[in-house]
Amino acid sequence: MNLQIFVNALVNAALIAPPAMAFSLLFGVLKFPNFAIGGYITLGAFAAYTFNVPLGLPLPLATLGAMLFTGFVVWLAHVWVFKPMQDQSAVTLLVVSIALTLILESVVRLFFSADVRGFDIPLERPWKFWGARITREQVEIIACAVVLATGLHVLLRHTRIGRAMRAVADNPMLAAIRGVDAAKITALTTVLCGAIFGLTGVFAGLDLVIEPLVGWNLTIPIFAAAILGGIGSPYGAILGALLLGLAEELTILVLPSTYKIAVGFVIIAIFLLLRPQGLFGTAEIKK
Amino acid sequence: MSAYLVSMATYAGFFIILALALNLQWGLTGMVNFGIAGFYALGAYTSGLLSAKAGWPLGMSIPMAIAAGFAAGGLVALLSMRLREDFLAIVTLGVGEVIRLVVLNEDQITEGPRGLRIEAQPFQSLIAPENYPVFYLGFVAFFVAITYWICERIRKAPMGRTLRAIREDDVVAGVLGKNVFRHRIQIFAIGGGFMGLAGALYAHYSQNISPEVFMPTVAMFIWMSVIVGGAGNNRGLLIGAGTVIMFLEGTRFFGDVLPWLDAETMSSVRIITIGLLLIVTLRLRPRGLLPEPKFTYTKDKIAG
Amino acid sequence: MTEAILSVAGLRSGYGRTVICDDISLQVSAGQITCIIGPNGAGKSTLLKTIAGVVSAIDGSIRVAGVEMAGLPAARVAGSGMAYVPQEANVFRALTTHENLAMGGWQDEGRTQAARDRVYDMFPDLQPLARVPAGNLSGGQRQMVAFGMALMLEPQVLLLDEPSAGLSPLMVGEMFETVRRVNAEGVAILMVEQNALQGLKTAHEGIVMAAGRIAMQGAASELLNSADVSELYLGSRI
Ligand SMILES: Nc1ncnc2c1ncn2[C@@H]1O[C@H](COP(=O)(O)OP(=O)(O)OP(=O)(O)O)[C@@H](O)[C@H]1O
Ligand SMILES: [Mg+2]
Repeated sequence: MNLQIFVNALVNAALIAPPAMAFSLLFGVLKFPNFAIGGYITLGAFAAYTFNVPLGLPLPLATLGAMLFTGFVVWLAHVWVFKPMQDQSAVTLLVVSIALTLILESVVRLFFSADVRGFDIPLERPWKFWGARITREQVEIIACAVVLATGLHVLLRHTRIGRAMRAVADNPMLAAIRGVDAAKITALTTVLCGAIFGLTGVFAGLDLVIEPLVGWNLTIPIFAAAILGGIGSPYGAILGALLLGLAEELTILVLPSTYKIAVGFVIIAIFLLLRPQGLFGTAEIKK
Repeated sequence: MSAYLVSMATYAGFFIILALALNLQWGLTGMVNFGIAGFYALGAYTSGLLSAKAGWPLGMSIPMAIAAGFAAGGLVALLSMRLREDFLAIVTLGVGEVIRLVVLNEDQITEGPRGLRIEAQPFQSLIAPENYPVFYLGFVAFFVAITYWICERIRKAPMGRTLRAIREDDVVAGVLGKNVFRHRIQIFAIGGGFMGLAGALYAHYSQNISPEVFMPTVAMFIWMSVIVGGAGNNRGLLIGAGTVIMFLEGTRFFGDVLPWLDAETMSSVRIITIGLLLIVTLRLRPRGLLPEPKFTYTKDKIAG
Repeated sequence: MTEAILSVAGLRSGYGRTVICDDISLQVSAGQITCIIGPNGAGKSTLLKTIAGVVSAIDGSIRVAGVEMAGLPAARVAGSGMAYVPQEANVFRALTTHENLAMGGWQDEGRTQAARDRVYDMFPDLQPLARVPAGNLSGGQRQMVAFGMALMLEPQVLLLDEPSAGLSPLMVGEMFETVRRVNAEGVAILMVEQNALQGLKTAHEGIVMAAGRIAMQGAASELLNSADVSELYLGSRI
């Protein structure tokens, strides 16, 4: 077996796992699959690009700026769009969230055109080991993803705010009865998720390219990972991302690479039909 | 200019058939379909390939397109009957994308991104070429009328009323049993058939079809029509589809008036406008412009 | 009569434009148990929700230890010395017992550790379940977690909505025993009960609600002996 496949799958998983965790978290609060994440990720990529290339900030600083910016936009979307519509059916919200992705994508197109871009970073030769190649950026992505996942775990399990986030997602009414300002916690959750989507945009820009469709192309794999791991189970999302990455790489061996996106769909379909709770989740996906 | 209007109206026709079909599926069964683009592509390529590559007459290839949409609809409904609706949305979106990817990749058959050229047009030999666009508009309008009529008939039939009554209540659906499930699958399949029809009509109108026409955005525009118009109401839907098309196509006029805007900018502005239209409508009129009359669960209606 | 820890006067509330509860006046004395009974849909849950701030009052006053609560949202009422245990969904199913208790102490994190030990002392059965998600507990255990959570801030008055609902007959007895034990610690209790006989036997005071209003009010023992009440609510149960 080719080691490169595992390297690619690992990089893929590092790219997908953080937003899949954030998606799960957001689903817990909003109770519908939010397709706006595609637009958020694209926005993050272009925000970082703007800070990095035209404004000349170093990439880490640009990344931080992009995370803050995306967090802010996701919060705005929550306040202006999703919160006032919380009585709508899940399907209507789904359509609205796709519309939001289309809007954000088009806004990006208006300002940046559809050209493919990249960050201002020196080109380096990839490292080689045992016949596999990995770039410096890919190693950084993996490291960041590990740190992020650990941080999220600690936040959710071992801090007061994280516990409140889970409580509000679980039962907002009871949380209010116990004195939690549920609206504030929800807003905090959206900002946190937004920052993670912004970071994903930067990762995608590093590993793939920066273009308006970058977020949409990642949306289905993110869903697939979240569903595979069990919606509402952020840790499942990590394993889901790994398995998905592996499945995608193996598919490319036998099918044209344009079918890669179909792998996500097929996994989603199989899991939703046969094991809707995913590998670990408990969320109700069936009627 | 009038040629432009005729073409716009013809496109509106395909659009309305798709929207009616969606409203039939969602409005009656409560099962969502985000794979509209896939069904549309299925119809277009079935009729297109049968006529262009296999030399079938249109009188046979178009019905085959309907049959293909019908079968695909039945299959999707059968498989995912019991999924929660937002997740069914993702599965159907996937079905649509997979259909598009197959069309894109199997280019020995479909010509892939090069596009499939289709010569055959209905009643080609009987109509003078300069009158053909107007004739085709009438042809499409005829099918829109038939679709509308059939959808209304199904909605008002006893089974349609029962289905609407139980749409929001699966416990009742379960009690009423297999019969209801069979009807839901049938209705989803019929909707699929109409989408196949719309695809075939489009294929023989444009005479050149390629995968990029069948992006998921098609599904989005149809969904926006239904939601803006008011879900479950066919008249509301005409208003919704009209509004969305007006924004979609009407903004093209700006291109003539404001020549410094390039096509790329125009298409971005168009999509932003339509997206905002949806959000603003839902903020101001949460049930759409012309909502479905409140359906009450009285006993006689359930008994049908 | 001792001083009233909770006093409600002329309370009116409902959902949207529909008024459900009207003209409700009642007093809960410190350290006493008051039991509300009444037919389904009488507005008992709505009354407790209004007192707890989950449903907003249209008119009237709600005073806890003399402080006005009417008009405050649930999150603000929470730390006022009054704690509410809803009829349904009264624990965080995704959180462990331990974490549920911590949520109960949300408003005063500094006291959580000591308060949790106190709750575990009171409900020793919960100790071994500390790491179990509340969603995996039995109905009786969940009810205890819900109680424990409400007791974390050492309230002076506890609002309980049908604590015995959904429990097996054996557990129901234990449940009322628990209510008595909590009360013995000095906590006043206002509870709604379907199980009128046991509820009134446990309580000092009784209230009968019908169609959103108070139909009868008095000492629990009097209500138990009243011909009307036994005919309407106790008949089948004696
Ligand atoms: N969220 C709500 N929105 C609108 N009406 C409601 C709501 N909750 C309850 N009601 C209505 O208010 C009335 C009183 O309900 P409530 O739950 O207070 O009754 P209850 O006395 O607690 O009944 P039960 O013994 O069955 O628990 C009922 O007619 C009910 O339909
Ligand atoms: Mg009640």
